[in-house]
Amino acid sequence: MKGLHGIIFSYEKHNDLRELTLHRVPASVPFAGRYRVIDFILSSMVNAGITNVGVVLDGNYQSLLDHLGSGKDWDLSRMHGGLRLLPPFSHEQSPRGVREFAGKMDALASVRSYLKEIRQSHVVLADSDLVINIPLQDVYQAHLDSCADITAVCTSNLEGPPDATYYKLSEQGRITEALYPLRSPAGCYRSLEIYILSTQLLLDLVDECMSHDQVSFCSAVLQGKTDTLHIHSYVWDGYAAQIRTLKGYYARSMELLDPAIRAEVFNAQRPVHTKERNDASTYVDPAGTCCNCLVADGCTIEGTVENSIIFRGVSVAKGAEVKDCILMQDVVISRDAVLHHVIADKNVEVMESRTLMGHDNYPMVIAKDSKV
Amino acid sequence: MKKECIAMLLAGGQGSRLYVLTSDVAKPAVPFGGKYRIIDFPLSNCTNSGIDTVGVLTQYKPLELNSYIGSGQPWDLDRLDGGVHILPPYMQEGEKGSWFKGTANAIYQNIGFVDMYDPDYVVILSGDHIYKMNYGKMVEAHKKAGAACTISVLEVPWAEAPRFGIMAVDEADNIVEFQEKPKEPKSNLASMGIYVFSWKKLREYLIADEQDPSSSNDFGKNIIPKMLGAGEKMVAYRFEGYWKDVGTLESLWDANMDMLSRGDLDLLEDSWPIYARLPAEPPAFIGKSALVEHSVVTQGCEINGKVMNSVLSHGARIEDGAEVSYSVLMPGVTVKRGAVVRYAILGENCQVEAGATVGDSPENCDPDKWGVTVMGPGSAAAAGEVVAPNTMLNRDHKEVSR
Repeated sequence: MKGLHGIIFSYEKHNDLRELTLHRVPASVPFAGRYRVIDFILSSMVNAGITNVGVVLDGNYQSLLDHLGSGKDWDLSRMHGGLRLLPPFSHEQSPRGVREFAGKMDALASVRSYLKEIRQSHVVLADSDLVINIPLQDVYQAHLDSCADITAVCTSNLEGPPDATYYKLSEQGRITEALYPLRSPAGCYRSLEIYILSTQLLLDLVDECMSHDQVSFCSAVLQGKTDTLHIHSYVWDGYAAQIRTLKGYYARSMELLDPAIRAEVFNAQRPVHTKERNDASTYVDPAGTCCNCLVADGCTIEGTVENSIIFRGVSVAKGAEVKDCILMQDVVISRDAVLHHVIADKNVEVMESRTLMGHDNYPMVIAKDSKV
Repeated sequence: MKKECIAMLLAGGQGSRLYVLTSDVAKPAVPFGGKYRIIDFPLSNCTNSGIDTVGVLTQYKPLELNSYIGSGQPWDLDRLDGGVHILPPYMQEGEKGSWFKGTANAIYQNIGFVDMYDPDYVVILSGDHIYKMNYGKMVEAHKKAGAACTISVLEVPWAEAPRFGIMAVDEADNIVEFQEKPKEPKSNLASMGIYVFSWKKLREYLIADEQDPSSSNDFGKNIIPKMLGAGEKMVAYRFEGYWKDVGTLESLWDANMDMLSRGDLDLLEDSWPIYARLPAEPPAFIGKSALVEHSVVTQGCEINGKVMNSVLSHGARIEDGAEVSYSVLMPGVTVKRGAVVRYAILGENCQVEAGATVGDSPENCDPDKWGVTVMGPGSAAAAGEVVAPNTMLNRDHKEVSR
């Protein structure tokens, strides 16, 4: 059967998201006012007509399970196919036994029996910590047109996380070298870690890597097979944010206040879906002011809120001042509290007249459910 | 499978007093309060009351309503057994069958549907009221009283009683007389158009009513008076809380303003949630030059102008220098640079071009001639155009008289 099958990796990698990943994997970190990071790649897949998506889980994935549910918010609750959650029970299938995944190949080997049942001709692999709204059907078409073995999506924007992988490209766009880690990436392209390849090739690679005890897709395939496989680039210079550091998280969130960037992330033809909640519209009181903000539904704003991202169900009481902040679901800011450069996680409550100040390059993070 | 209680929701009405707002959709599909449509209220009330089987009787322009209800999933009414069912009129054997002639006839034509669930009680609802109500309590009261019919009533100011169907009751709240819009009301208990019937009784009366050629096959006009006349036990169930019939442009506007003031109708209060089918839209953006005051904004809005005392549904765009006050904007409305919208209802996807003026406040105008300005779905006000208070435009930019 022609077509694409999606696989999303959401096992825990090293990250520097501090308190935000105390209770969750990076995939389920709240982002952009009403989403979780994984919503973007998942919606990109669904908008490209993909109806079968497997999510490889590991680590602290409770909150991700809760978020994804049956997949119905992404139209992935299907009689045929739909969302398949692949928890690490399948570790037992891995010859390396039960422990955390060491790399993509390791993770894929552990779900080999699932891979074997894929009926689509091609597979798109993606990380769950990437915020992007990309027309994957175009990437797929480019893959078919180029007759490449593997197509890897990359960007010319080199400002990525410290642990990014970079590619060197030939004039024709073939990837000649994959570099990781790399201190000075000038002249290279940054990998966005989205790959399209045929299902059969994927199975062959998984088997080969396992028998050679290789766990990393990057070293075993991208670095090890640039000569024997035709690995082609697909350059995407639209918005793409790899959410791996807190500083990056804050900067990439605040960027969304720019209408041009918002237009790239929220394309009317490619809507981003998320778990729905039933909130009424947000109410702005005469005593409140709200400017240069992204505000989700269900909020009550009676204080001053500026340059901030406000998630669903937040309330800001009279006299409170919130500037340059990210307030996640159901945060309560009481009267006369002052918050600058603060990221308040879900259900945080800030009591009356508290003053909390972070800085532009070091935002203060308040962990989920804390009371200040 | 047998159900103790099911609900039948009358959603076929044209809503002619909403004029241009219902030119393409049935009244229950008219947007309300930023995120909702009118039908979300009875459907959510059903789910919250534990009623999992609802027949929705449609007739007038049902397409948008049908696709909105879909499988019923947003209201948790996509069930293996029961759930929400759309019931349009249909052909009968011998090429008989007809449009629904009246509210009672609509149920009569679907006796077969109700019988499939063999319920003890049927709740009859309409699709044009805004309220939060636990029907379960009303059914309990009905059972306890051993009534044939229980009618939900609301105490209204005596001066307003002549506008309603009035129930005169004895000291035990048994209904002794029903007066339709009486000049001299005998009580101030107004019928809310919400009934609980014991199905066996109602079934008999529906069949008898159908045999009567002089009947207009209506609950209020025929079934209720006939049951009263026959001495059936009819009980009034007193409802306390917010309830509004939004069948007219003024009442629809009023109810939206009531919602803003968050008094009796507080949609942000979440103990009795109202559910809706929602489009995938990003959070609202409120820009640097924006001013939002005593208003609600919804996902997908982009606001760079002034918004005061208004309800903005999803996808509203208010450009820099535009001003919107005391208005209700349905989904997808654009108000361009420098345009002013006051005391208006703008239907879905209206465009107000730069510098246009739509509506005005009552202070700036002859009070006898003032009224809420209404633009039908898809209509546009041209750049610099003035749309006077109390006027109504359809999508072809023609004025429609009330």
